[in-house]
Amino acid sequence: MTAPIIRIDSIRKSFGTHTVLDNLSFDVMPGEKLALIGPSGSGKTTILRILMTLETINGGHIEVCGEQLYHMQRKGREVPADEAHLHHMRRHIGMVFQHFNLFPHKSVLENITLAPVLTKGEARPMAEKRARDLLDMVGLADKAGHMPAQLSGGQKQRVAIARALALQPRIMLFDEVTSALDPELVEEVLLVMKRLAAETDMTMLLVTHEMGFAHEFADRVLFFDKGHIIEQGPPDHIFSNPTHERTQTFLRKIIAAGHRV
Amino acid sequence: MEWDWAFVWQIMPTLLEGLKLTLLITLLASAVAMVLGLGFAILRRSSVAVVARGTGWFVEFIRGTPLLVQLYVIFYVLPDIGIRLPPLVAGVIGMGLHYATYTAEVYRGGIENVPRGQWEAAKATNLTARQAWLHVILPQAVPPMIPALANYLIAMFKETPLLSAITVLELMNQAKSVANSSYRYIEPMTMVGVFFLAISLVSVVILKWLEHRFGKVAK
Repeated sequence: MTAPIIRIDSIRKSFGTHTVLDNLSFDVMPGEKLALIGPSGSGKTTILRILMTLETINGGHIEVCGEQLYHMQRKGREVPADEAHLHHMRRHIGMVFQHFNLFPHKSVLENITLAPVLTKGEARPMAEKRARDLLDMVGLADKAGHMPAQLSGGQKQRVAIARALALQPRIMLFDEVTSALDPELVEEVLLVMKRLAAETDMTMLLVTHEMGFAHEFADRVLFFDKGHIIEQGPPDHIFSNPTHERTQTFLRKIIAAGHRV
Repeated sequence: MEWDWAFVWQIMPTLLEGLKLTLLITLLASAVAMVLGLGFAILRRSSVAVVARGTGWFVEFIRGTPLLVQLYVIFYVLPDIGIRLPPLVAGVIGMGLHYATYTAEVYRGGIENVPRGQWEAAKATNLTARQAWLHVILPQAVPPMIPALANYLIAMFKETPLLSAITVLELMNQAKSVANSSYRYIEPMTMVGVFFLAISLVSVVILKWLEHRFGKVAK
């Protein structure tokens, strides 16, 4: 029996007086492809941001790759993680954002090589070689010298995926990566992610409104509402015959809004 | 009183000495202002509340008091507690510090204009705070603020005569001393004005070019 790669244990998160996550727990197994779905404001994106340490938690514990994410041991006591510990933990995790967040002043190639060279001390020629391989993988081998502003949204997002992969994380987080794209550009990004899911044993967490893609991509789907997991299971179960009434309502609304399931 | 060209040529070497010092002070003091201002801007964003607030107060205090008073304090009061600075050093520190409180505002604006997503991407690619500043934030924040920074450089240049109050032999002080010893003010003071005007005009042209070059950056 393998141990989970992520253990989320009764975490709480609030922004001011507004509680987003309340006593939430779930595990993710190594290599698992997880889709987080649910209405806006249900806390799905917050979970990814917490895992990337872009937000902190107000209570509970998270374990990533066998180590506490937000806590560490000092003199036999558990204390809040310091910046050095967070830095140490972040190398396990990569993230792709809704709005790409490419570095606009750096070329496509530099966007991908910057972090490996700076944070892992990789030699530039080696980092560049891998960056070119990754660009090839996302179908942008000819764009290495371009600036982000010269790319379409779909191309930018594929570069962002390559940038995250260049650090060879064990866990990848995808936060509504197609939501900011024009409809005709969605497919090229999803195609890259499908290949990635098929060809690697990385653990992937996906927050999405693309139900069709979630169905195809995920091993397990978690349906969130108001910070709680209402229902979870294999995609066939969640999408074809959800047991919970709120899941049914949500899926009905999504279909009515023109999303494919 | 008549304009005397012979006198102009006679005092020219002295005035040029002063001008050289004026330019040197402007350069050194603006270097101090650029670096210190960035330091203030970064400290004001510190997550340690005491540091952020303390820096804020200090900046407000310096900006809220006249440069001339600060120069007097640095040059005439500090020696009472054992800190004795040569006039030039005192002047450069005084002007640099004073203008750093203005450049800090420029930096702050420029830094705040970098979208939050850039910080998040830097963090997600596991850059340290220092690496994020150096490789992601500042390269995007600085170019748009170059025109505003250059503007302060010109302002500093025009404020250098204040340093004559602490015995720095810059252009104004040189002119005053030749005027005092020859009892002729028209030529020295006119020449000071001409020098300042000529250099300011050139600077404005350069500034216009900088605005054109860096004012707008592609998103």
